[in-house]
Amino acid sequence: MKWYRADLHIHSVLSPCASLEMSPKRIVEEARRAGLDLIAVCDHNACANGCYVRRLARERPVVWLGMEIQTQEEVEVLAWFEDEEACCALAEELYALLPDIPCQPELFGDQVVVNEEDEIVRVLDRLLLSPVPLPLEEVVRRVEDKGGLAVPAHVDRVPGGLLAVLGLLPEGGWPQAVEVAPWTPIQKVLSRYPELSGKVIFRGSDAHVPEEVGRGWTELLLSAPTLAELKAAIEGRDGRQVRPGPEVKEGL
Amino acid sequence: MRVREVVEELGLTVLTTGELDQEVRWGFCSDLLSDVLGHAREGDIWITHQRHLNVVAVAKLKGIAAIVCVRNLRPSPEVLAKADGQGVTVLLSSEDAFEVAGRLYRLLSP
Repeated sequence: MKWYRADLHIHSVLSPCASLEMSPKRIVEEARRAGLDLIAVCDHNACANGCYVRRLARERPVVWLGMEIQTQEEVEVLAWFEDEEACCALAEELYALLPDIPCQPELFGDQVVVNEEDEIVRVLDRLLLSPVPLPLEEVVRRVEDKGGLAVPAHVDRVPGGLLAVLGLLPEGGWPQAVEVAPWTPIQKVLSRYPELSGKVIFRGSDAHVPEEVGRGWTELLLSAPTLAELKAAIEGRDGRQVRPGPEVKEGL
Repeated sequence: MRVREVVEELGLTVLTTGELDQEVRWGFCSDLLSDVLGHAREGDIWITHQRHLNVVAVAKLKGIAAIVCVRNLRPSPEVLAKADGQGVTVLLSSEDAFEVAGRLYRLLSP
């Protein structure tokens, strides 16, 4: 087994709130600069740029497809996929359900699909910052049905964090793992939310600008950088491990 | 003022019946359940758009007098069944949160 440094929460220029500099090319450069072995591109309710990032990276780093899905309750959930088609199929389902509110770029920012050569190939019209009109349980079910892994993003943060929005963990077995915000000290979140003890904790960068890529990360002890291995690690099987990196100081 | 009088005065639909004779202290508006957990008080009428199952647990924990779901945003049967089981009153209004809160404020202010 081997330790992999992973940042599984990176926004690209497809997220209206992310910098126009976050092209697939730039994301790959920054991920290499930050010494990341594994990344996931998680735009709001969309995933198209992840495909280009994966092609450019050629496994340096390994790239998973992903999304940051906003549920009806306005809880944000990271969805990680190895299978590009499955992720894109889910993204299409979600896009069709999004309210037909156009993204006005001057207010919200641009929502562009950018290819390996930094060319804009598509513009998404519907505002991706709207929640999809599906309850949390249904979003998790759809991600898992397609073979993905659903992990609540920055659980402690307002807006969008599961515990901030819903106050308590939902009933049932989900989630086994949670992400914390880049600047949240692990001890602090555990003492504020004792119900998280025993949960597997990830840290992502939630990067919206190039310099932020890799500012928060998670170390994974796996026999290969695959989603199946990560699922095994979350279940604590055969010595696999998930270890969140240190928090970033405010201002970075 | 008791919950049943608020129901009558505001023309609310009763979806689940808890303690309708509970005395209402004041109102609280929030869709963030962590905010409700932190700041609502026992006997408050809670005005919200949130319909996740956790609203029942939060209302129960805080001793909320009644939840008012606004703009006809009706919780799922699962949520209502849970509220029923926990003795939490859930009410429905066709008005938006501002109108409900405004009318409740008028009703409760001394």
